[in-house]
Amino acid sequence: MDSFIQQLINGITLGGIYALIALGYTMVYGVIQLINFAHGEFFAAGGYVGVIFLSFFTGLGYMETHPIFCLTASFALAMMYCAYLAIGVEKIAYKPLRKEARLAALLSALGVSIFLSNGLMLTQGVYDKAYPSELFQGGFSFGIITIGYLQVLIVCLTGALLVALNLLVFKTKIGMAMRATAQDKTMSALVAIGSNKIISLTFGIGAGLAAAAGIMVGLYYGSVRYDMGFLPGIKAFSAAVLGGIGNITGAMLGGLIIGMVEIFGAGYISGEYKDVFAFIILIGVLYFKPTGIMGENIDDTRV
Amino acid sequence: MSKKNFSIMAMALLTTLFIISAASAESLKIGSMSPLTGPYASDGTDIKNGVLTAIEVFQKQEGGIPGYDKIELFPQDDVCDPRNAVAAANKLINLKVVGVIGAYCSSCTIPASETLDEAKIVMITPASTNEQVTDRGLPYMFRMCGRDDDQAPAAAKFMKESLNAKTIFIIDDKTTYSQGLADGVSKNCKALGMNVVTHDHVNQGDKDFSAVLTKVKAANPDILYMSLQGYSPAALMSIQAKRMGIASQIVTQDAVFQPKFMEVAKEASEGVYLTYGFTDPTTPEYKAFEQIYVPKYGKIAAYATYAYDSTIALLKAIKAAGSTDPDKIKAELMKLDFNGASKHVKFKENGDSGSSYIAFKVVKGEFVPYWEPTKGLIK
Repeated sequence: MDSFIQQLINGITLGGIYALIALGYTMVYGVIQLINFAHGEFFAAGGYVGVIFLSFFTGLGYMETHPIFCLTASFALAMMYCAYLAIGVEKIAYKPLRKEARLAALLSALGVSIFLSNGLMLTQGVYDKAYPSELFQGGFSFGIITIGYLQVLIVCLTGALLVALNLLVFKTKIGMAMRATAQDKTMSALVAIGSNKIISLTFGIGAGLAAAAGIMVGLYYGSVRYDMGFLPGIKAFSAAVLGGIGNITGAMLGGLIIGMVEIFGAGYISGEYKDVFAFIILIGVLYFKPTGIMGENIDDTRV
Repeated sequence: MSKKNFSIMAMALLTTLFIISAASAESLKIGSMSPLTGPYASDGTDIKNGVLTAIEVFQKQEGGIPGYDKIELFPQDDVCDPRNAVAAANKLINLKVVGVIGAYCSSCTIPASETLDEAKIVMITPASTNEQVTDRGLPYMFRMCGRDDDQAPAAAKFMKESLNAKTIFIIDDKTTYSQGLADGVSKNCKALGMNVVTHDHVNQGDKDFSAVLTKVKAANPDILYMSLQGYSPAALMSIQAKRMGIASQIVTQDAVFQPKFMEVAKEASEGVYLTYGFTDPTTPEYKAFEQIYVPKYGKIAAYATYAYDSTIALLKAIKAAGSTDPDKIKAELMKLDFNGASKHVKFKENGDSGSSYIAFKVVKGEFVPYWEPTKGLIK
């Protein structure tokens, strides 16, 4: 029982990270029906920007005196950087292809993914980059169960970002414009919604969330590497599909499910097949419900 | 085919031939094969750097090889993927290299050596420790590092005698190397009367080990044996084990012998034990290697030293043979008997050069020799 609760906490932490990345896939798909395969690379870039700033602050000694400020600043800068990176990528690699067949943009996305990951390798090197580790070590212990401070931070921050995103999409004018663009670009243009702006914004927000996930992964696991975006990217994509691609709540749910299945699969059945379990669930759900768990009315309420 | 097309093709072919012959007249070509991209890029890059250092030192100390202006390296990237390794081997055959240093992963060395063997090209692996590398009886396959069936008993003996271990939890990542070694350690531990609680597996490229570590914590073994390929997953697992409050001693193996391990795992690396071949860092041969390597590439890592020695051995043999005939090179390799940077190099009949596994302990961010199979603790 004790280790069950521990595994549950592990699963929520991992699932939260997948959920944050999955949102980027689902939002972009919602607006322009493109699977942005370069999304995992924004996650990796976020992790790198985070380590650069955190090491910089640690070097200056600010980390000890103002830890909250340094952390907030690193998150903000990394999210902003990745948002602009994503907007740039959209302008260069996807926008010119928007009128072409969907396959063209998809291939372009794959190309951008390879380009960015190799770019990271060339500029940052092939070795792991260590995060300053003094941050938030230790945790709460209840008998055999240990909840790291970082796990608490990740879960809280993930929760806060998800709530903020929901408010943005469903309660503000910008969100309304996003939903309108997702439903019908021509029609929303007629009521003076600039679709280019909205698409840029969507890419920016998605990449920003991925960057936040990147820093959290770096903090939690202690290091980042240039190819770290690939595997979580694939998992998060599966999470988005599982939840119903295009649906924000679905992506969150999908992320949590994939994270949980992976942890419980490894914890109770066998560690070597944990990815298999995640994909069995995916295939199972898609077999009975091809639009994903929440993807009921894919034509009306996607973002 | 029209006449015009044919003549263009003939011209193109002739030009290529001309370029190839012009190039081979002045430079001796050797190849290296290691993962330069992908999850093991760092270890593969260390190997390439070791080979480059050896070429530089050899040219300086021995004045190169008579009849050639320079020694040219063709580094190939195998991504630690058997398919890429065979493709790289074929590419090296087409480049007409005289010898190959590589590969890193046992799963690459084994298929690539079959291909290279058909073309009669000498291959010296600096890093593949799986028994199958030399046990297949390929005539042109040599190995500079140790063997896993020497490493596993050494590790088991160390855990039994020095750490007084009774229970052990083994985790491997399902690569040819890590699984082979983990099976060996498991077998040897059982033979010594230790209890192997669980032998679990993770996947290559995993970052999150919380699920398997929760199992370790519940089992509370004396030893957590991490059979992982590369320092990176080992560092991640050490960090997560420490964070979870696992009290077991961590023991790991040669692939983790990389200063980056301590850089990433920091305090979580303290007190971790690992088995690795003994290298005396005070010999003049090691110093010669260090002098060139460190300023260019930084701290010396796991297989850079073995890659260096492999290259020196190959070049010495080519020079002594006075030709690029594979059988002459092989004969000269068998005759070699010299002090390398990592150890004394003398190849056996099967291509192995002996193992010298000892246990190291991480103390204050350094690998410190800790225990020796025959003499016990090292003071």
